[in-house]
Amino acid sequence: MRTKTGFIYVLVVAVLCMGGASLLAHHSWTAQYDPTKPLEVKGMVSKFEWTNPHARFYVDARSTGGDVTTWNFELASPNILLRNGWTRNTLKVGDQVSVTGFIARSNPKMAIAGEVVDGTGKKLFASSTN
Amino acid sequence: MYRRLALLAIAGTVVVTTVTIGAQGRQGGRGVALPRRLGGEITAPKIPDAPAPRLPNGKPDMTGAWTGSIAWGNIIPALKPGETVELLPEAKKKMAARLVKEDPAVKCILPTPPRGAGFPWRIVMTPTHAFILYEFWGHYRQVFLDGRGHPPQAEINPTWMGHSIGSWQGDTLVIDTIGFNDLGWLDGRGHPVSEKLHVIERYTRTKLGTMRMEATVDDPGTYAKPFTLQGEAELIPGGELMEYSCSENNQDAPFLEGPADTRGQGNN
Repeated sequence: MRTKTGFIYVLVVAVLCMGGASLLAHHSWTAQYDPTKPLEVKGMVSKFEWTNPHARFYVDARSTGGDVTTWNFELASPNILLRNGWTRNTLKVGDQVSVTGFIARSNPKMAIAGEVVDGTGKKLFASSTN
Repeated sequence: MYRRLALLAIAGTVVVTTVTIGAQGRQGGRGVALPRRLGGEITAPKIPDAPAPRLPNGKPDMTGAWTGSIAWGNIIPALKPGETVELLPEAKKKMAARLVKEDPAVKCILPTPPRGAGFPWRIVMTPTHAFILYEFWGHYRQVFLDGRGHPPQAEINPTWMGHSIGSWQGDTLVIDTIGFNDLGWLDGRGHPVSEKLHVIERYTRTKLGTMRMEATVDDPGTYAKPFTLQGEAELIPGGELMEYSCSENNQDAPFLEGPADTRGQGNN
């Protein structure tokens, strides 16, 4: 389990760094998100905002105890997402997703999406750092 | 298994990051919107290896959609070889005190040239003007090509992007800009400017698909001596600009933490 967590961390860092090197987003992602706080969330999309400067989607994740946490995930902007195969209908309320990313430094329910996998197993481009 | 995959991920990251940073070192900040770069599903057409097109007056036609900029997150990698940035003492203090959340870009405020455009941009040439249209912020610059000069100093209204006039030096379009306010940042690290800022940009379409760019930053109110930045842009064949209404749902600024010179754009 520990090894798996380590792998996820490295993988997410790798995904974000690939975008981060070019880094022309409107803000620095490491100023908002903590690279030492990776997370992996599985749950249902409860809201999707096809907006600038970032599209955002909200995921309701249920713990084993039944508590529901709503995560606010940042994506790239719609223009970048569109150029990478997205449409405004790519994610819909009710979709099941698996997301990896990093938690915001000062908002424990906000995160940047590093990798998004939809309910069919398809990996979606996500990096907001692009 | 996981260890092997993790090692592969690290190796991949090192390769990709090294290649990209190498490109930045030569060419300043690169654009982000070339679809094929990001492994997306849309593939841009191949750019023919052909000379730059010409206007009826014989000058190179700069028209087209381009991606790439001189610098966005950090001007230092874009410095012309051998050049340095030397801040005056007061400017050094000003820069050191800046926070990431204060970056005008974070608040969707217009970037001060030569701070580049992260998304594609388009040059439109007319006999009297060059217009540079930016997908980023949906903003534009108008460059007067009709031979006029800058307004007298007393009539200058300081702005984020200044007053630009253009002229040709051989095949190079030279854009001379003054009239800046002192609020702009040259990059995400917070390199400051004063109202004495004078920027001279040189755009040379070296071939159909390539635009070489240089910008000399002369600001005696901020820097001990002028310095020149270099970059390169790539044509996006058939490329179109898209809407980017930055302030629509800007949730980020309150959650950005840290000083700009260590955690601003260009540091990650």
